[in-house]
Amino acid sequence: MKNWRLIIVSILVATLILSACATATDKPAVEEPEEADVPEPEVEEPAEPVTITLWAQATVTESGPPPSDWIAYDIILEELGIELEYTIIPPSGDGETKLNAAAAANDLPDLFQITSTTDAKNRDNLHTYYELGLLAPVDDMFDMMPVRTETHYNNEILIGMVTFDGQIYGLPEPPIIPKREGFLIRQDWLDALGLEAPTTPEELLEVAIAFTTQDPDGNGQNDTFGMGGFIEGPGLGRRFNYVFGAYGVLDLWNFIDAGNFGLNVRDPQYYEAMQMMIQLVEADVIDPDWPTLSKDEFRARWKQGRFGIMWEDFAALTNKSNYEPFDKNFPEGTWTPLPPLTGPEGEAYYGLYEGKFQIFAVSQAAVDAGKKEAIARLLEWIATDGYYLLGFGEEGVNFNLDADGFLTLDGIDPEQAYNAPERQPYTQLRNQLVFYNTLAEISARYPNYTTEFSGKSMTPIDTYLSFFQAQNWVEGFAKKLIPAADNAADFERFYNEGLLQFVLGQKELTPEAWAEYLEGLDNLGAQEYEAIATEVLQEAGMLP
Amino acid sequence: MLKTKTRGAFSFQVGIAIFLTVALLIVVIPFWRVIVTAFIPLDVYTREGVPFFLSPTEWTGEAFKQLMTHSQFPRALWNSVVITVLGVAISMTLTIPLAYGLSTRDMPGRKLIMGIILFTYLFSPGLIPVYLLITGMKLTNNYLSIILPPAVSVYNTLIMTSFFEELPVELKEAARLDGANEFQVLRHVILPLSKPILLTIGLFYAVYFWNQFFTPLLYLNKNELLPLPVLLRNILISSSLNEYVEYNAFSTSAVESLKAAGVLITMIPMLLVYPWIQRYFTKGTLVGGVKE
Repeated sequence: MKNWRLIIVSILVATLILSACATATDKPAVEEPEEADVPEPEVEEPAEPVTITLWAQATVTESGPPPSDWIAYDIILEELGIELEYTIIPPSGDGETKLNAAAAANDLPDLFQITSTTDAKNRDNLHTYYELGLLAPVDDMFDMMPVRTETHYNNEILIGMVTFDGQIYGLPEPPIIPKREGFLIRQDWLDALGLEAPTTPEELLEVAIAFTTQDPDGNGQNDTFGMGGFIEGPGLGRRFNYVFGAYGVLDLWNFIDAGNFGLNVRDPQYYEAMQMMIQLVEADVIDPDWPTLSKDEFRARWKQGRFGIMWEDFAALTNKSNYEPFDKNFPEGTWTPLPPLTGPEGEAYYGLYEGKFQIFAVSQAAVDAGKKEAIARLLEWIATDGYYLLGFGEEGVNFNLDADGFLTLDGIDPEQAYNAPERQPYTQLRNQLVFYNTLAEISARYPNYTTEFSGKSMTPIDTYLSFFQAQNWVEGFAKKLIPAADNAADFERFYNEGLLQFVLGQKELTPEAWAEYLEGLDNLGAQEYEAIATEVLQEAGMLP
Repeated sequence: MLKTKTRGAFSFQVGIAIFLTVALLIVVIPFWRVIVTAFIPLDVYTREGVPFFLSPTEWTGEAFKQLMTHSQFPRALWNSVVITVLGVAISMTLTIPLAYGLSTRDMPGRKLIMGIILFTYLFSPGLIPVYLLITGMKLTNNYLSIILPPAVSVYNTLIMTSFFEELPVELKEAARLDGANEFQVLRHVILPLSKPILLTIGLFYAVYFWNQFFTPLLYLNKNELLPLPVLLRNILISSSLNEYVEYNAFSTSAVESLKAAGVLITMIPMLLVYPWIQRYFTKGTLVGGVKE
């Protein structure tokens, strides 16, 4: 009996040890002897495949990487002579730590995505790696990949952002779908109360009060608020863009008036915008948890019908996973996009468009190993022959193309469809290295559909995205060039907390208190920070 | 006088009871909320948020189903089990002899060794030197990169040393007189008497390795090697970024439910182990943690 126990335990331990010690390999173990048995070819020996290590985020992190028998690996090997080793790195701070550790050990992969918490930080990190001599300039790669350069690397501003001392050290991928967020209102609530959509901040207040006090959902309960939001971005964040845009003071920096560049809080209209926000808060028309809500909680609340005015991403609003619960709770509910409010001085700006984008870089070690040309070959292939394969899968199996070149799922097995959950591992690189926002691409990603409960026709692009993109946005690409302040943590804390204190009534907003607040910012180096920002933008040719 | 004393003692007991009740509630209420959130149906969540109590007829295990039916879940679970079992085995194999040696007061160089060990406790080498060491040893994409660096915990070693020191020296001497060498003393005399500390320290190590998240992110580049906490985090990141993802992955559970279910899934194995060794656990931490 004891012997049996010993044998079983030994087998288990041996299994565990083997599992633990085995280095992961993509190739089945049986392949090696087969390769050894293959006789030496008499024809000219093909060149050894070049191994390229690629670290990039996943588009759908939960779906995992493509399997080792992914057809793309074989095609890349056969057609390009490249053995691709793709590693998914986590997004945000975790990925940044992983990259930094590899950088510190001079162990960066050949081609990698810069990962951090913000775009500005991405650029800072790229600059750090450049200063450490870890990056290779990529200027000469553009001629090696003409199609990709035309479709992906055609934005001079972005190229400027990855250029240091006259040489380009990053490959700035096209921004995610631009100007994708917007100002929305519950049309069914407006109709129920016989109201018109607001066009000014004052009308916004009136509508918000009505939504809060007149039971717009007709359930007989006092359970609604006019507006919802949460803090996302500097100050009070961009979820209240529709208020600040009416005063021409969106975000941290004033990009509207190039001749008057500086912190927006110095603009007298910022004071007026703050007064408006205070009126809204004091009227109790904003879901009161807004200063502490997370994005997920905010989204749960519009699905619960908690408020009727908000700022939201078009895809977050319309994708099935978010819209279906709302549709089920409120079959008559409709979110209508609105143009910007017009402020007292006639200003009507929608939002600040910063152009969130990804940066890829090539390590100096890869170039030293003679891999630059192979990397360019791979990237060009992704933009040409490999575009559909890496973006959507195989034509005829995972999608079809109609006469206009748009993707269709007609005749495709639903489980094999490019947008089926099972297919996500095969297109993990699509948001990182493949897509560049053509209409066909966006239509494939956000198709029209009929809602399950109310039977409404949902048209994400026509109804929402196109409308949002047509509004009066402020071009804020230049923001990415501005480095963080030396005392960024202190500065940001004082800036954010000060504004919040005024809005929440913890500090009365008076001209004296406001002047004191501005003085506090100056004591933290605001003027010097503005001077640095101005100089940087002037050097980049973005300010006169 | 006696009455006053009795009344004072009673008031003290009541005060203690109130304090402990409040402390218990502080722990239990958030935990209860996590449980409710994990089992809340999507339509209830989207209709009214998270109630304090869930109707017995309105609950669902959908969030657990979504996480546990994920294609990578079995593999990630197995990976976590491998890391935990092997980690505990290696750690205990290294910690026990070290602690035994240090508990032997007449061991040559004992103070020096103790000083070296304490030095590593006070001054951590930091991330980059360890990363260089791991990559230099070619241990990336190998579970040993997760298991070896923390294999000997100074804290656990000191507790175990303290426990061993409390055992009667006469037992060891008797065994030596009978001809036992040090290994035999450890194997046949010390370890049978040390179940509480072995199980306690084993649990400490098990919890540590089971919760491993950061080091797998650093050293394991192959997804098929990632343990459960990393997979769960990946799933949750995806669900929070659903505006950038087109397919309908999470239509039957709220993001908050998935998060709560993820917390419970990672907690449950350890919670199941704990009651079995609780009686040893208290004794082990008390005896090992007290230095006379």
